Formats: sequence, C-alpha cells, structure tokens
Amino acid sequence: MRTRRLSSDVGIFLVLVGIAVLFEVIGWQVRGASFLFNGQRLLVMVLQVSIIGLLAIGVTQVILTGGIDLSSGSVVALSAMIAASLAQAPNARAVFPSLTDLSVIVPVAAGLAIGALAGLLNGSLIAYTGIPPFIATLGMMVSARGLARYYTRGQPVSMLTENYTAIGAGAVPVVIFLFAAVIFHVLLRHTRYGKYTYAIGANALAARISGVRVERHLLVVYTVAGLLAGLGGVVTSARAASGQAGMGMSYELDAIAAAVIGGTSLSGGIGRIAGTVIGTIILGIMTSGFTFIGLDAYIQDIVKGGVIVSAVVADRYRHRGAKG
Amino acid sequence: MVVLIARFARMAMVLLVSMALAGCGGGSSAPARPVIGVTMAHFDDNFLTLIRTAMVEHAATFPEFDIQFSDAQGDVGRQLSQIQNFAAQDAAAIIVNAADTSATPGMTKVARDAGVPLVYVNRRPAEDTLPSGVVFVGSEDLQAGTLEMEELARLMNYRGNVAIMVGELASNGAQLRTTAVESVVAKYPAMKVVEKQVGNFQRERGLDLMHNWLTAGRAIDVVASNNDEMAIGAIMAIRQAGIAPGKILVGGVDATPDALAELAKGTLAVTVFQDARGQARGAVDAAVKLSRGEKVDSFVWIPFELVTRENYKAFLDR
Repeated sequence: MRTRRLSSDVGIFLVLVGIAVLFEVIGWQVRGASFLFNGQRLLVMVLQVSIIGLLAIGVTQVILTGGIDLSSGSVVALSAMIAASLAQAPNARAVFPSLTDLSVIVPVAAGLAIGALAGLLNGSLIAYTGIPPFIATLGMMVSARGLARYYTRGQPVSMLTENYTAIGAGAVPVVIFLFAAVIFHVLLRHTRYGKYTYAIGANALAARISGVRVERHLLVVYTVAGLLAGLGGVVTSARAASGQAGMGMSYELDAIAAAVIGGTSLSGGIGRIAGTVIGTIILGIMTSGFTFIGLDAYIQDIVKGGVIVSAVVADRYRHRGAKG
Repeated sequence: MVVLIARFARMAMVLLVSMALAGCGGGSSAPARPVIGVTMAHFDDNFLTLIRTAMVEHAATFPEFDIQFSDAQGDVGRQLSQIQNFAAQDAAAIIVNAADTSATPGMTKVARDAGVPLVYVNRRPAEDTLPSGVVFVGSEDLQAGTLEMEELARLMNYRGNVAIMVGELASNGAQLRTTAVESVVAKYPAMKVVEKQVGNFQRERGLDLMHNWLTAGRAIDVVASNNDEMAIGAIMAIRQAGIAPGKILVGGVDATPDALAELAKGTLAVTVFQDARGQARGAVDAAVKLSRGEKVDSFVWIPFELVTRENYKAFLDR
C-alpha cells in the first residue's frame, strides 16, 4: 500500500521532469538559452500557480471524501473584494472612507472568515440536505461571484496599504502555498482528521459504522476548502494590489486539474497533497514554458488540455504496468 | 465583522426595494409620451454602466421622450425579443448595445420591417453597410491601438523591441487593438515585435506574463497592452524585478482611475480614453433625430483620446 502510493508520486514527478526537459530542449532551439537553469524563472513557475495551488490543496481534501468543490474560484473573488475593501489606504474612492488604514489583521481575518463561511455553507448543504456536492458548490460558485460583483457594483477596489500588499510581494505567495501544503500533507497522513477523510471517500457507510461522524467531518472538510479559497483571495488581492470581481475566474477547474494530475482519484479515497503540489507545478511549468518558447497564443490552450489528459494517462499506464 | 453584516443587511434592503420598484414599473400603464427603447448587452458591465448612466442623463434633456431600458444579460435571443417588444409598442426609436455583434443583421431586419429607427451603440454591428434609418455610434478600436503605439513609438524615438499583451482572444476589441499596434510597429524599421501573448485583460495575468518575459532574456523596451489592467500588472512585475521605472515604457487603454494614478507616478507612459459619455450622447441624439425624420450618418465615430502625463488631470473626473 505504502510503496504503491509512493510510486504514484514518483510517476507524476517523472512526468513533470519529462515536460521540463522537453521545454529545455525546445528552449535551446528557439531561444538559445536554458529554460530550467534560471532561478528567477523557477520562482515564477510556482509563483503564478500558488493561488491555484492553495485551492488545489482544499479541493484535494474534498475530492478525497468523494465530493467536489466548484466554488473555489468564485470564493477567491468574494474574499478578494471584501478583504481589499478593508485594506485600503486613505483615498477619495475608498469603499469605506471611515475604515481605511486598518491593521492588516482586519482584512486578512475578514477574507479568511468569508471563505470559511462559504465553505461551511457548502458543507451544511451537502451533509444535511443530501444534495450532490456538484450542485451545492455550483450554486455557491454562481452566488459568490454574483455577490463579489454586487459588493461594489463591479468597481475594482484599489489603493491598498503597503502592509497588506506585502502579503503578495515577491516569493511570499509561494511560501504561503508550500507552508499550507506541508501542514495539510501532515494532517492527512498522520492525524485522525486525515484518517476520517480517506475513510469517508473510500466507503462512507463503512466509515459511519466504524463510528466516524460523517456529516460533521464533511462540514469540517468543506470549511477547510473554503478557508483555503479565502486565503487565496487575500493573497491574490495583495499580489495585484487590487480586489476585482473577475479574479479567480475558472481557477476551480485548474485546481481540480492539478489534483487529478497529481494522482487524486475523482471517486474518492485516493490521493496525496504531495501529488497535488506536483500537479500544480506542472500547470505552472506549462504556462512559463509556452511563453518561453513563444508558442502561438491561439494554440496554447489546445496543447494545455492535451498535456493535462496525457499526463494522467501516462501516469495511470505506468502505474498499471508497475502493478502487473 | 459588524461592518460587514451591516453592509450585507443594507445590500439586502436595496435589493428588495429595487425589486419592488421594478415590479411596480412593470405593472403601470404605457406612458403617453413616445418611448426610446434601449436594450443593453449587460447591466453589470463596468463600461456599459457608464454608457447607460450617461444615456439617462442625456435623455433628460429631451423631455418629450421617455427612455426605457432592458437588460439582455448577454443573451442574443432575449435581446431580439426585447427589440420585437419595443417595435410592437411603437417605440420612437430603439437603441441596441448588441449582446453579440454577429447577430445584428437579424436585429436590423426586425427594426426595418417594423419601420422603427435603430441605433447601435458601442459595439459595431457585423454589417459593412447599414440601411437608412439604422446607424452605429461608437469608437474604432483600431484607433485606440494606433494612438497608444504611435505615442509609445514617439517616446522611444522610433526604435526598440515591443512586447504586446493581448486581451481575450475572442474579443473584437483585443484583435483590432493588437492589429493596430502591429501595423504601427511595422512602419518603423528600427522597431520590432519580440513578444506577443494573451493576458485576458487581467492584472494578475499581465503580472505573470511580464515575469515570464523578463526571465526569458530577450530585451524588451516597450510593453503595449490592450488594456490598463494588464499594463498595471506589467508595471508591478517590472518594479518587483528591480528595474528602474521608465526603463521599459508601458502603455494601456481605458484610462481607468488606477491607470491615471500610475500615469501620475510616471510608471505608465500612456493610456487611451474611450468616451462613454460621448457614445451615450451620440446614441440618444441619433435616436431623437431619426425619430423626427432627420438624416444621420450611418457611422457616427466618437474619437478615442490619447492620455499622457501632460493631460491626464483633465480625465480624472470623466
């Protein structure tokens, strides 16, 4: 069991290395320079997907329970708007003219709280009304985006304090992403929280019979996913020094893709945060690689879709081969 | 948190009241004054909201007309029904902000068959020529790209490497602005487009794109962005990379408040102002004239205006 999971991570890591080497080779042809041996570019590869990575950590846990979360991208926008509106420096266009220059704690707490609240609502709907996670979180996806737009009638919220934008400066988003990854990797592998999460996804009935309080645990997992999306909203608004209702558009799909590329099974019970991190980095390496080799913008998405599917197929094929 | 709850409570109130008002409006009898019917592609789009508000203001200067708005919510079918409804209630004129510009021939036909004057605003209809009684009022996106790139070229002394940030690939505005930027660059032998990638009109995408370009090693002297948001992203990436402001010239389009603030700081070299009020006034004027049987040019162009460090203050309140 243990070796098989390990080999799964190694497999997807090999795919990552393969893609990187491919860009390295093409890069020398096209640019006459190395793709990989550039510290700044390596940072950018992860930096540009660190928000998606945060969402992916959340959705991985949701998928492990056999669920899905489509709302994370919209929750990013809602959290970004609310956090940004409380993080403004004094200016003529402030959303709350009397609430500028607040301590950085306030917007961060507000952004995290609204994310957790959205997740809690998702979790309650799923656990207590029994509607499918797809529908519950689809509803939240639409409503949270609507609320994000309504909050300032679509106006962007800018002029944020320097203390706040520091959260998104330089490599800080990468640090936050990797820190969250380590925490949840440990939680999932070594605590009761993780055992319950895997147990529910593998067999909810069996988990219930063994004494797991399934409803309550689902509530916690969806709230955690919401909290991570809220954190994503805080980091992205700090990074762009602006809160905008269009932020995080379709991030939820990239996050799900990252989790699945990383070996998380959509039927639940199988998957690891380490794999999700690798899946996230594969998405980042593609964005940087396409730009580096100057691939025509019209073709990029076509190729990206193909690579996502092939990465998973290659990993599964290798995996099956190893077992047989 | 208390503030947030108060804010949500207030939003809920506003929502209820506006729904109640909308309900009353629907129930009242048809007004005696002739109606100018307007169907907008989206009520919630930023720029289109500027146009809509300005239309209300300008229509108030023609007290003999009532102006009535409907929201197509981006749906061509819904918009066509709204046009048919306006035509059936004998509107004096119909103003259309097309939800999809490829669907305009059908809309033109409905209005022509009913004999109601039709004014397209902001989004250019697909037809090359418009029949009498049908006009377009708007701006030419090619002009935005040309103004932006010509000014950047002038500031660079007509030499240097240009990187283009493209908006959404499917957007007409992005395509035309990009084409215009490319043809300006092609005019000057010492200038060259070295990079061209999509940033979806978003600040974060512009930021990531610029990071990637800066690490790719090819020298960039000018960034010509399809809009201000991506341009601001580029400026942030340049700042984070520790490159002195002004070493790479950045240009945008829209003249948003954020962009004007960057212009004031000297980090943005140029932007271009699209005149929402001018388009709104032009559309209402055209509708009034057509309904009175006066002649109006088929295409009424509202010019874009170049915004630079010298004149940006004049745009702060527009």
